[in-house]
Amino acid sequence: MWQQVYEEINDPNFVILCVAEDTGGEAAAGPIFDEANPTYIQIIDEDHIISGAFNFVNVPSAAWIDEEGRIVRIDEGTYSKIHEIGEGEQAITFGNDVYVPALKDWVEKGADSEFVQSAATVTDNIREQSVDQQKADAAFRLANLFRAHGQKEKAEHYWDLAQELNPDSINFLRQNLTLSEEGSAGETFMKVIGDYGSFGKDYYRPLDL
Amino acid sequence: MSEAFMAYPELRHPFEATQIHPEGSTTVLYQGKVISLAETGSGDGLLIDPEDLSRVNGFELKPEGACYKEMCIPMNDDLLIEQDGRQWFSLGAFADLLGQSYVVDTEAAVWSFAEIPFKRESMMVNAMAPDFEIKDRQGKVIRMTDLKGKKALIVTWSSW
Repeated sequence: MWQQVYEEINDPNFVILCVAEDTGGEAAAGPIFDEANPTYIQIIDEDHIISGAFNFVNVPSAAWIDEEGRIVRIDEGTYSKIHEIGEGEQAITFGNDVYVPALKDWVEKGADSEFVQSAATVTDNIREQSVDQQKADAAFRLANLFRAHGQKEKAEHYWDLAQELNPDSINFLRQNLTLSEEGSAGETFMKVIGDYGSFGKDYYRPLDL
Repeated sequence: MSEAFMAYPELRHPFEATQIHPEGSTTVLYQGKVISLAETGSGDGLLIDPEDLSRVNGFELKPEGACYKEMCIPMNDDLLIEQDGRQWFSLGAFADLLGQSYVVDTEAAVWSFAEIPFKRESMMVNAMAPDFEIKDRQGKVIRMTDLKGKKALIVTWSSW
């Protein structure tokens, strides 16, 4: 999906880093990347390093970074189009058709694009990360090391610790659920998403376009 | 949507049990890197050979202290420790001083460190993208600094 956008923009001074937050690694994310025949930079981020670096709590999220390394937009539900899954009454749609035109405008006009946000707006949109949340990142990566070495009990222990320390992370929650029979959109996930809504919390910043 | 939407239980623990490191050594996790330390000092706080500091967290030991870019942290007796005529650097004390979080599995001798808060200050205050270093699918190391001079969309997704 991003491949089409990348080809349409076709600017040598624009790059896309498409980052799969997937502890399942190549086995989980590789085939999906391959199907897209991508020419952009593809990363499988088993340890969620990129989400940690930008304080994202869910996917898909994104940052626009200009030539000087300044973030000019951040942490919006980042969709390349309106997606439809399922049919009839089961069908759900998500995504939007305004993000990509805004992105194209920025690549073309740079700082003159109306979609570039001030440093103050961007820093307001960057989530604070508490000490516990930072510790959760360390616990999650420790769990993944134990998983990679076949040490199940310790992997489970530190995955649980990561979720206890950062219960707001949809990434940690769903990553964990994905590797279960229940899956990433089962009862547990639906309950957490419901709680999220009722507490007025957001997992993306409002799409301000 | 089926209740088992994006369920990959077979990927939960697909790996054979293996040792993390040779007997007597210690492993440090930081920024996605796995760093093996053959020798550490005895006692609390993870005492490492000062020579290992830069490959562990990018700080260089200089006369003015442990330095990263323009920032230098002066050394003191909690950070540089003598043991039987040998000098060690306390990575735990250094992390505590910098407010860096970590989780330790003492039994397996693995220390997992979160990012050092001051390395992220330029993001929180000035919206400058944080440094990161990560391999792409082809094995090429991608650093934030490599992207200078280009516009970049960094977008996360997942199979789940």
